[in-house]
Amino acid sequence: MEIKRIATAGTLESSDIQITIAPGNNGLQIELQSDVIKQFGAQIKQTIIDVLTNYGVQNAQIKAVDKGALDLVIKARAIAAVQRALEISEEPRWEVL
Amino acid sequence: MEVIKDLYLLNSAVKKQWESFLQQHGIDNFNNAETKYLNQTVGLFDEHDQLVGTGSIAQNVMKYVAIEVHGEIHAGVRFNKIISALIQRLDQAQISHYFVFTKIKYVSSFKHIGFHCLAQVPQGALLESGFPTIKNYLAQLSQPNSEQQQVAAIVINANPFTKGHRYLIEKAAQENDLVYVIVVQQNASLFTTPQRLYLVRLGVQDLMNVKVIDGGEYTVSFATFPAYFLTSSDAVIDYQTRLDAQLFKNWFVPALQIKRRYLGTEPTSHTTRLYNDNLQAILQPEVEVLVVPRYQLADGQIVSAFQVRHYLVTQNLEQIARLVPATTFDFIKAHWAILQQRIQKGWHGNGN
Repeated sequence: MEIKRIATAGTLESSDIQITIAPGNNGLQIELQSDVIKQFGAQIKQTIIDVLTNYGVQNAQIKAVDKGALDLVIKARAIAAVQRALEISEEPRWEVL
Repeated sequence: MEVIKDLYLLNSAVKKQWESFLQQHGIDNFNNAETKYLNQTVGLFDEHDQLVGTGSIAQNVMKYVAIEVHGEIHAGVRFNKIISALIQRLDQAQISHYFVFTKIKYVSSFKHIGFHCLAQVPQGALLESGFPTIKNYLAQLSQPNSEQQQVAAIVINANPFTKGHRYLIEKAAQENDLVYVIVVQQNASLFTTPQRLYLVRLGVQDLMNVKVIDGGEYTVSFATFPAYFLTSSDAVIDYQTRLDAQLFKNWFVPALQIKRRYLGTEPTSHTTRLYNDNLQAILQPEVEVLVVPRYQLADGQIVSAFQVRHYLVTQNLEQIARLVPATTFDFIKAHWAILQQRIQKGWHGNGN
């Protein structure tokens, strides 16, 4: 799936994560900002990659600013952002949720 | 629970409260030229309905951000709430790429939430976030090839393209292997950005070693250098021209391997003179700055885009023909009616 527009989901408040997805041409490139990047950076990135992969997105630039979000929050924000970026928010893909 | 609310500055009581809050936090430039461009302003209110933080958006620039802090705990929380609210509003307005001008002491707070510093000078810094980034912008420009060693750059507004621009570019083309002509992207000009770009491309198409590029939001734009378009004090102009010069040096110079920058003198524009001074101070010695005296016609008449716009206002086609190349002249003739209409709609002939 091709990214149709740049989209954001989430906030910068405590326990949340803000994820922005933009078109890319070189795989899934994630730039992550987090206070716990050493401990959980790889895991946070993997959660986001899994969501995008489930939606069939192969190329995208992703920016994530983490404020200590739990895994399910990261997943929820990634889903919201990718649905907006693919312009399918009105017809969510239940099978990948 | 602290809540975000929209502040409507048209309401004078709200505006007063907002101004006094900002003044308490060291911001006191409420110049109408600045405030009238604010699209949205948000306020953060505590449990007692007291204003404890605010931030505004002007197009794609965050401005007037201030937070009331009691101890370290509040600082980050309130700051992030305000910035989140602004990003959300930008996103709703489908603006995915945005900037902030800020004091040096807040740079790390913005970096902490994903902003990247574009340029920093003693008075402040310019940061960006969102997409596309400056790296995306630079990546789509074509690089010099291995034989093009001496690379020069010229930044022009070309509102519109004159014989003076042509002279400067031709001179640079003779003295260098490759010349990037970076056209300022700003629709505050009488000629629109696509029109200005088109006229520059048309005007230099016979010069094989000249590449015309769109300066994007990174050269003399509303974001980097609002004083170019708004009447401002010398201190503001000094700050913004330094930022613009530093941004050019940090990003354009390495990406395009620029060794020289050519400037035209502007005897009549104070802003341009300050800009040129700061460019020389900041770019050298890494980038050689060559100041080329302004092109004059045989009878001593100075050629400037400002003059052309003046003759557009006074409807003097004969004089325009002397100042612009045939390509621009044909365009002006063909678009005479619409240009006159734009002037009548209140577009005033000043500015740079």
